[in-house]
Amino acid sequence: MFATPVQVRKRSATVFLLFGALLTILLFRLLWVQVVNGAFYASKAENMRMRELVVEAKRGTIYDRNMHSLAVSISVDSVVANPSEVMRGEREAPGRARETAAVLAQFLEMDPEKVYGLITKENVSFVYVKRKVDPDKITNLRNYVQEKNLKMPGISYVPESKRYYEKGKLAAHVLGVTDTDARGLEGLEFIFDQQLKGIPGRLVSEYDGQNRQLPQAEHAFIRPTDGRGLVLTIDETVQYIVERELDKLERERKPKGATIIVMEVKTGRILALGNRPTFDPNDRTNFSDAARRNRAISDVYEPGSTFKIVTASAALEEGTVKNSDRFFDPGYAKVGDRRVRCWKDGGHGDQTFEEVVQNSCNPGFIAIGLNLGAEKFYRYLKAFGFGQPTGISLNGEATGILVPQANVKPIDLATMSIGQANAVTPIQLITAVSAVANGGKLMKPQLVEKVLDAQGGVLKSYAPEIIRQVISQETAQHLNLILESVVSKGTGKNAYIDGQRVGGKTGTAQKIKSGGGYMEGEYVASFVGLAPANDPVVACLVVVDAPQGEPHFGGLVAAPIFKLVMTDVLRHLGIQPQAEHQETPAAGDTVEEVIVPSVTGLSLLEAQDQLGRVRLAAATEGFGTKVVRQQPEPGEKLAISTAVILYLGDDPKAAPVIAGASAVCPDVRGKGIRQAGELLAQAGLSFEPVGSGLAHKQSVQPGQAVPRGTVVQVEFAPLPEEGP
Amino acid sequence: MRLKRKSPDVTILLAVVLLLMIGLLMVMSASSVRASYEYEDPFFFFKRQMMFAVMGLAVLVVLMRFDYRRLSPIANGFLIVSLILLLALFIPGVGKKVLGSTRWLNLGPASFQPSELVKLAVIFFLAKALSRDQHQLLDLFKGLGPYLALMGFIGLVLVVQKDLGTALAICGTMFLMLFVAGARTKHMGWLFGAGVGLVALAAYIEPYRMRRITGFLDPEADPQGAGYQLLQSLYALGGGGLFGSGLGQSKQKFFYLPEHHTDFIFAILGEEFGTLGAAVVIALFFLLIWRGIRVGVTCPDAFGSLLAVGLTAQVGLQAVINMGVVTGLLPVTGITLPFLSYGGSSLVFTLAGIGLLLSVSRYSPR
Repeated sequence: MFATPVQVRKRSATVFLLFGALLTILLFRLLWVQVVNGAFYASKAENMRMRELVVEAKRGTIYDRNMHSLAVSISVDSVVANPSEVMRGEREAPGRARETAAVLAQFLEMDPEKVYGLITKENVSFVYVKRKVDPDKITNLRNYVQEKNLKMPGISYVPESKRYYEKGKLAAHVLGVTDTDARGLEGLEFIFDQQLKGIPGRLVSEYDGQNRQLPQAEHAFIRPTDGRGLVLTIDETVQYIVERELDKLERERKPKGATIIVMEVKTGRILALGNRPTFDPNDRTNFSDAARRNRAISDVYEPGSTFKIVTASAALEEGTVKNSDRFFDPGYAKVGDRRVRCWKDGGHGDQTFEEVVQNSCNPGFIAIGLNLGAEKFYRYLKAFGFGQPTGISLNGEATGILVPQANVKPIDLATMSIGQANAVTPIQLITAVSAVANGGKLMKPQLVEKVLDAQGGVLKSYAPEIIRQVISQETAQHLNLILESVVSKGTGKNAYIDGQRVGGKTGTAQKIKSGGGYMEGEYVASFVGLAPANDPVVACLVVVDAPQGEPHFGGLVAAPIFKLVMTDVLRHLGIQPQAEHQETPAAGDTVEEVIVPSVTGLSLLEAQDQLGRVRLAAATEGFGTKVVRQQPEPGEKLAISTAVILYLGDDPKAAPVIAGASAVCPDVRGKGIRQAGELLAQAGLSFEPVGSGLAHKQSVQPGQAVPRGTVVQVEFAPLPEEGP
Repeated sequence: MRLKRKSPDVTILLAVVLLLMIGLLMVMSASSVRASYEYEDPFFFFKRQMMFAVMGLAVLVVLMRFDYRRLSPIANGFLIVSLILLLALFIPGVGKKVLGSTRWLNLGPASFQPSELVKLAVIFFLAKALSRDQHQLLDLFKGLGPYLALMGFIGLVLVVQKDLGTALAICGTMFLMLFVAGARTKHMGWLFGAGVGLVALAAYIEPYRMRRITGFLDPEADPQGAGYQLLQSLYALGGGGLFGSGLGQSKQKFFYLPEHHTDFIFAILGEEFGTLGAAVVIALFFLLIWRGIRVGVTCPDAFGSLLAVGLTAQVGLQAVINMGVVTGLLPVTGITLPFLSYGGSSLVFTLAGIGLLLSVSRYSPR
């Protein structure tokens, strides 16, 4: 062996020093990373591990004025996938992803290829397979997965809130719609979105590198604040009546469109507002733009003779016409070098002012208008709210079109006096007519009465809002009586209701072409009226856009509808017929009425048969084989060929309706949310779902009789987990 | 020459046993999560490591009692055999591919890394050769040349086998041994420069190496890709702070930090025991290096001296490179931390080397 040279020892020492230096550098580096910058890296690491889940707030319920719920939020499951976990499962057991896709596609009724593409999407850790799935489908899927003991790694269910419009298309244009993320898109859902939506909560939790929650995870849960409730001025029953008549109109006359508005005249509150075409807000995939259009506030039309109420109001208030004035109608009016014809060939001859209104005489009104003068006429147009939005709390309100006052010529004034040349929205017209009915006070039209907090306490009430006194109370009362005579003696006879004091005015106007001029053969038939004439409570406007076939006159198309609506509305509001005031209109104009038989509990065919015997039509709502409820109820009077709405269900025992104001609570235990909701709705009860899954507890015992509209709280629980 | 045998260096033995115990503890803690998920046994990796530790200690005890001088005659043959085994990895079916590199020799149920054998064989060979012709080393071509050729050959084979970490450790050890044995400082300087150039070239050829280097320079530029591993390592260290989050409290081991029980176990140690815990490990390595080189310095014969320095430098270099990678001072290279990282071959061979170092220590005067 060779001895160790001195150089080896020296250089070994150098190597030792080198290592000493390197280890010292390491120590300083550790101090730099762990102590100096430790907090920086630690917080970055924490951010990486912490995931935030948004917990949706429950969207507020929308009720009608009697606290019947119209729009509720229910909890439904969305199926979501974590593709990276799906792919990990695929690596463990090849073919599993395909199998998973096939099962999901089967139960969610989707294309297997599409599902496979979604759940194996690259570079994402979250995809929706299907959002807000029917609870029944989810239940079936869960059952199947459990039964077959399927492993579907990366697939999970996330509860989300879904908007459910309990009464389907009822008041669809007022309520509006929400998008998939429960944001209001239209209607009150849009305007009151901030109030309804609440504040979402957050669930912060720590995850591992493979997206599993850490066992000793740090959590924070910030509770969501549930949305506020809305109590509308809409009366569900009045709205039902309106929808029923609109349905019948649509079936029989197939108009391009139609609108009915019912307003409480003393408050400006809207009791019902309906349009055709319409849509079912639950069926999100089937909306056409035309169906979603809220014609009542967005569309303008020439009001025609209904506008003569405004002309008459202004002239009476200004004193430019007196009851004793007499008018002669030769069949036309000459304005400058132009002739405006009266609707009646040959004219009405010699008439009093009241007769001019009763006859809706054009030359008479032209004389009244010209006598009033443009300046005063415009003052009243503006005072009644024409040419400006009413400020109703809905989006998309039109302002209407007024002939500019600066260049108004006598011929313009003449046509304006008979309701032509200017264009108005239905809401403007009924608001103006309601002012006449309300002693001359113009009210702001209202749809929302109260905003409720999440516990149901009143946060805000909207008091009726007087905009201005347009005409004096005397003038208004005088006009109401004239309008009553229009119905009892004049062109509005078809609106006459036996025993009730109804006032109103017909209107028929040719439709304006978009490029100017009038459309040949297309008319807007309308009727606006109020009741009772001595002390008006409600006003109602019926507008029918381009009814098919004849007749097209407002008095023949719109007045009968007004009559049917007003009859049921007055009965519903408890306004008794005034027996001492019996002015029978001319014979031949009466519509024969029959008593509605009871068809509840019968099969659909039997019910249709029964109704057919008394010459009533039938319309159905819902699905099933038995009639579980009918509208109107037995014993009420109805014009022949009017449709009785039959609510169908499967089990008549589940929803017997006890006469009067009480309902028997059905047994919803074991049912899915949708089914439970339908059963309760059929029974006339309101539904408040809690949780998701199948119903296991209900706040009102099955079979118990409770007042209609009682809120039944139903607790839902996911399927019980069975042992392995 | 007959020397009196004494008892081995207790400090080295103590430092190694302590490092081994810390290593076992950290393997248990760091691997428990993955072991639970993948093997449904949180102690899966710990048990295996324990077995290898026992095996390694047995080898250590045997070699400690073995006269290191008897290695000298077989050193050349040992090197040839180990190189043949290393080259055998190129034969299809013999090598086992793990994570993209073929480093394992498949021996039926068992498998081991020939590179571990090469590590020791190179040290034996250099210690023997250099103890004879130190003076010739001064000549670049006749003296240094053959060693550089050997170094280049082994380095190239390992680089081709995508084992840059081991290449670095072996070439570094050879470099240090040549330096200690008396090569000219000037030559060593050129060699160092050439080495850096070769590493750069290796990185340039293989895109994955280049990404590792750029990832190391700015881990946050590509936090999900090239910078991911280092960034997760820094997160672990940062989370530990000065005092650590406590044994078993690591969060980065929950599938954030890859290789958390092998190459990056030092990061988990730093997370659970803080800078203080890491400093203890650094101190133990310092102790080991100090005593190891001291064994070399005090050894009377040149073979023993170079053997001790080589074995010590081998362990020291791996430790420094590994900790440098974990703390972000060096680009990521797959290299284990001696005594601490999970891995059977590596542990057994490292302990074998320590056994030989202790054997040398028995002939040094105290």
